[in-house]
Amino acid sequence: MINLENISFDHCIKCTVCTIYCPVARVNPIYPGPKQSGPDTERLRIKNPDLLDESLKYCSNCKRCEIACPSDVRIADIIQTAKWKYSPKRFKIRDFLLSHTDLMGTLSTSAAPVVNRITGLSLTKSAMEAFLNISSKRRFPAYEPGTFRRWYGRMKSEQEAFSEKVIYYHGCYVNYNDHELGKTVVRTLNKLGVGVTLIPEKCCGVPLIANADLPGARKNARYNIQSIETAVEKTHCSVVSTSSSCTFALKHEYPGLLEIDNSAVFNKIHYITAYLSRLFAQGPVPELQPVNLTAAYHAPCHLERMGGVIHTLDLLSNIPGLKIVLMHSECCGISGTYGFKKECYDIAQDVGEELFKRIADAAPDIVITDCETCKWQIEMSTPFRTVHPIMILAQSLGVYTF
Amino acid sequence: MKFDCIVVGGGVAGLTCALKCAEEGLRTAVVSSGMNALHFSSGSIDVLGFGGDKKIVYDPFDDLHEFIKEHPGHPYSKCGGVESIENAIRFFREKIRENGPDLFYNGRRNHFSVTALGTLKPTYLSQKSVFNEKLKEVFSRKPKIALLTFEGFRDFYPALAAANHKRTPMIRDCELVTGSVALPESVTTRKNPHEFRSIDICRLFDSERGIETIAGRIRDAAAGAEIVGIPAILGILHYDRIHHRLEELTGALIYEIPTLPPSILGMRLDNALKEKYAELGGLLIAGDEVAGGEFEGGRLASIRTRNYGSEEIKADCFVLATGSYFSRGITSKFDDMKETVFNFQLEYELPRNKWRRSGFFDPKSHPFLEYGVKTNDLLNPFTQSGTCVENVFCAGAILAHYNPVREGSGSGVAISAAVAAASRIASHCRRG
Amino acid sequence: MKRMETDVVVVGGGATGTGVIRDCALRGMACVMIEKNDLASGTTGRNHGLLHSGARYAVNDPESAAECISENRILKRIARHCVEDTGGLFVTLPDDDTEYHKRLVKGCRAVGIDYEEIDVSAALKIEPNLNSGVLTAMKVPDGTIDPFRLAASNVLDAKEHGAEIRTHTEMVRCIISGDRVVGVLCRDNLNGELFEIYSKIVINASGVWGRRICETAGVPLTMYPSKGSLVIIDYRVNNVVINCCRKPFDGDIIVPGDTVSLIGTTSKKIDYDRIEELDVDDDEIEVLLAGGEKLIPNVSRTRVLRAYSGVRPLVSRSGDVDGRDITRGIVLIDHEAENGVKGFITVTGGKLMTYRLMAEWAVDLACEKLRVDVPCTTHERPLPGSETPSNRPVPHYFDGISKSVLGSAHYRHGERMDHIFSKDKKSYGLVCECEMVTAGEVEYALKNLCVKDMIDLRRRTRLGMGPCQGELCSYRTAGLFNDLGAADEQTAIRMLKDFFEERWKGVKPVLWGDTLREIEFTYWIYQGLFGLGGVPDEDEPI
Repeated sequence: MINLENISFDHCIKCTVCTIYCPVARVNPIYPGPKQSGPDTERLRIKNPDLLDESLKYCSNCKRCEIACPSDVRIADIIQTAKWKYSPKRFKIRDFLLSHTDLMGTLSTSAAPVVNRITGLSLTKSAMEAFLNISSKRRFPAYEPGTFRRWYGRMKSEQEAFSEKVIYYHGCYVNYNDHELGKTVVRTLNKLGVGVTLIPEKCCGVPLIANADLPGARKNARYNIQSIETAVEKTHCSVVSTSSSCTFALKHEYPGLLEIDNSAVFNKIHYITAYLSRLFAQGPVPELQPVNLTAAYHAPCHLERMGGVIHTLDLLSNIPGLKIVLMHSECCGISGTYGFKKECYDIAQDVGEELFKRIADAAPDIVITDCETCKWQIEMSTPFRTVHPIMILAQSLGVYTF
Repeated sequence: MKFDCIVVGGGVAGLTCALKCAEEGLRTAVVSSGMNALHFSSGSIDVLGFGGDKKIVYDPFDDLHEFIKEHPGHPYSKCGGVESIENAIRFFREKIRENGPDLFYNGRRNHFSVTALGTLKPTYLSQKSVFNEKLKEVFSRKPKIALLTFEGFRDFYPALAAANHKRTPMIRDCELVTGSVALPESVTTRKNPHEFRSIDICRLFDSERGIETIAGRIRDAAAGAEIVGIPAILGILHYDRIHHRLEELTGALIYEIPTLPPSILGMRLDNALKEKYAELGGLLIAGDEVAGGEFEGGRLASIRTRNYGSEEIKADCFVLATGSYFSRGITSKFDDMKETVFNFQLEYELPRNKWRRSGFFDPKSHPFLEYGVKTNDLLNPFTQSGTCVENVFCAGAILAHYNPVREGSGSGVAISAAVAAASRIASHCRRG
Repeated sequence: MKRMETDVVVVGGGATGTGVIRDCALRGMACVMIEKNDLASGTTGRNHGLLHSGARYAVNDPESAAECISENRILKRIARHCVEDTGGLFVTLPDDDTEYHKRLVKGCRAVGIDYEEIDVSAALKIEPNLNSGVLTAMKVPDGTIDPFRLAASNVLDAKEHGAEIRTHTEMVRCIISGDRVVGVLCRDNLNGELFEIYSKIVINASGVWGRRICETAGVPLTMYPSKGSLVIIDYRVNNVVINCCRKPFDGDIIVPGDTVSLIGTTSKKIDYDRIEELDVDDDEIEVLLAGGEKLIPNVSRTRVLRAYSGVRPLVSRSGDVDGRDITRGIVLIDHEAENGVKGFITVTGGKLMTYRLMAEWAVDLACEKLRVDVPCTTHERPLPGSETPSNRPVPHYFDGISKSVLGSAHYRHGERMDHIFSKDKKSYGLVCECEMVTAGEVEYALKNLCVKDMIDLRRRTRLGMGPCQGELCSYRTAGLFNDLGAADEQTAIRMLKDFFEERWKGVKPVLWGDTLREIEFTYWIYQGLFGLGGVPDEDEPI
């Protein structure tokens, strides 16, 4: 039962730093914290897989332990892998539904208004809680009719006319839940003189990882990397994504956790603000209209993990009139599918409480964040509208109006 | 990305240096991989605690003149003189105060802080919840002292502290009691108090109710003591108010004793440094690791990091403050060791059995603690081919020729070298 | 001077001595065991902990091999919580001759060891980390045995049957009256007090130290001590025992041992007067790691926790000086028959595997002399903690107590874990976070398992044996000793210091990489933050 690829637990010096920065351990007394759940008990699980403790399910995979670790132990990766590697394989319909975002998206978008109505009903909610252990308190994200890809199909020839192009990895969220963001990305890039290409893609695998389906995640990862490799080889275009978690998976979790080699395209994949801030740095900076808003900015955990926050802030700093209030680095709690689960809902809300309070204190006109699930969490837990930074830029470029 | 100065390493040395650079108006970035050693520190700043033969130092700055003469090559000899060292420590104290604790100092002299084993340790700056003027005064009146812990807390044992405490003349004549304080039941029923770390107890002080409950129990356990020593757990952000409230509610003077990690005292300093730095517009790239650099004409032109891949991060000057073995500034193997990031020349010995002495607590300490990067008098390192890299400056535990533990000089050296490096970088950048 | 009387005095608290005292007690004799240091602190605790199938001896020493396989089956029955039935592999390394494989097969068949020749691909399935280039593979019923637990369980059973156990008690000399040994003069090493124990029989079970014991009785015993060194790897790089299929040499075996793996073993002749100074030389470490890497390539990427060595008590029966007659078999000497000294028996030689058989022989002889007609039952009667015939599931006590904590206690103490956890939350508060030792386990060991200091505690519980080597748990333990009344404050602090010095002995030879990082951190905490190494003598006012 020994996986020798991630032996980073061996570097743990038992310094306890990770225990300070774990947002779950802070609010959940049952969770023994990243040190014990990760490197400490990994040695025991290697000895005897039966020593896997159930409490590992409370890890939300926010990766804050890894940022804090002075020994480069991939603590969260160890925990995610352990959940899959050492546990008896049991099919859980709830985890299947939550983790197969693309399948759910395909099914739901064809009947979006109905699905949205149904998931919003209190009866459905109680039923989902009773039968699926999905928290009835969680507001479900709305599905849009049709897909973003279908919309893009109509734009394709227009996009091909651009001499400079970029590949857009839109992810499940844009395809099923938020076409507006996808459309805005296309318009924004077009305005900056860049055309948009789509390539075949599958769900990045983040929800599969979180629900202990590593083989499934690996399958998707292999598909995506191959698709990107083929496209990049042919076009030499960069790949951008508007989801911080998708980008994090494509760049970092694929090689680190799933052991999928992405080195051929690693430097070609960018979170969108990283791509744009470099574009701006090369100049000329396009003409930007003032956006007279006070915005609270929340940095998603996975964006922090990969050092992407500076690009978003750098990009936003170009926009005249925009006042950014930084929320102190805190996890919002939802962590993808985590906050949907009955046993984790309260933990998720407790984790996010500090952030919600800070947002309320800042009394912003709007909240900006790079991650779709952070957006759901903030919009459900505070009265503030929450948008992706690209929406603000688009407004400033005149291709979108609130 | 392009900066005036990039600091590799986010510990006391790196952050102090970056803070100073940012204050000088330089566009500064810190790249740090993991949290720093402040998280395990006493939270006090030692300048020089012990001279030769473990002799206790009372006047660190006066003694430094002689110390530097006796220790050629010591980082303190490369910080621009004793006056600059004193200024650097003052700079640090003033900057910390703006966003963090107001540090106690005994004029130019050292004072003593209490360890978890009840021994006394000479130090220069301490947090006021550790030592302050009032405590100094009341201690001299031979008051009744209580050393308390929290019921179930694994990481502090007042009886052990008291045993050594009683042996010090200062306290020998005082009445000394020990005891423990039960944590609020609302907390202990949810989580086993025997699994608490300092950080868990620390969080109980977030609410006024928590403070009041615990204060009442401390007052009872202290049994009329005028001074109460407790493990360091009084909050990371609002420690001042918590400390003040506890003293008010218990009617006793309360002091904190640093204990097993994580160190709440150290985290306060870490927090203060980072906040001040951010306020000055400095950029912190956390959880990343420098993978190497590009040298051009004997200068370091840019670095690459793990997260940013091929994207070059350029700067005019760089600071190497990656720490020693723990922070992975130095990597050691079966038969060798090297500086991790740029493979700069290292001062060390071979074979491996020279790295340590035969007893763990050997009074002479261990040679490996003194190994580090070789630098010239301006703290510039050398490449393996012998070129001095003039736009890179080294600070903190990565430096060779000092033993922070034996000398009681760790944070002092880190701060002095950091400020010296920053000043040199500032004039470098101004020269253009 | 204080004076005690008993039927049998057993000298030595290693595997043999604890086996002997248990056997004596089970046969109803009044008995006292003395041990100058701690249980299993000598050779017993300083080997690779292999539960031999006998295959390693099958080619050259079929007699030992037969003893091994027979004891192997007994121990799997009576000492379930001390042994782990991991199974073992013999593999031929790429550069070795496959001829030895055939000889081994023949040897195993002759002795009756259940071997099975398997494909290399099957071996890789059993042990994924194995060097994929090995040429042949065979399965043998090897396992692992924890010598500390074994000694402690024997002693626990002996105590529960009336034996008296005195650790940290050194034998100064035999007390002789005429042609008879009538007792022993002892010194309590904790307080320096001398006292006498008079007995009908003295059984010398002190292994390599037996020569000194014999000298005080005026009888010769020629020993050829051989030092064997091993290294410990931070975690289990293998889950089955892996042996090289060739003539034994240095670094030819990796044994999983609880949470770690051990690479063994070197073999160096040493002078008898050097049996106490057991430094592991740098060249031994190099040889062991190189050997380990050949079996499991990942060894090169793994943290080396410690290195240590033990001394094999090799005996020359005929007393010849050139050592041709050296045996690795069991040596039982009736000094009455051999040297005309009555009341004195020496049992030595042998190996950890055959400790019980050695004890049985020695006690049989003692019984014969004392005319006690009770047969040996140690081959049938399970040790305390292994009473239930099949593994029962780990009991679940409370919510919030992790499976890994419960499982570790169960692994170490078998059913006696019931004595560890109580409704008191303290009993499951973790002290040692690497090996999951709780305050309840510390308390249980202090009360029941002859623990006098923190180093003894380590042998009973694995406290401080994990990656951090005591960095977090040692201060907590010192505090607990004091809390539980097992040590006053100054003693607790001294124990803390001793504990680190003892840990340092094993860490020192392997001080590089993460081990060096860990040591630097530990040094910061205990010397820098706590000032443990020296309280300043000059006491200036604050």
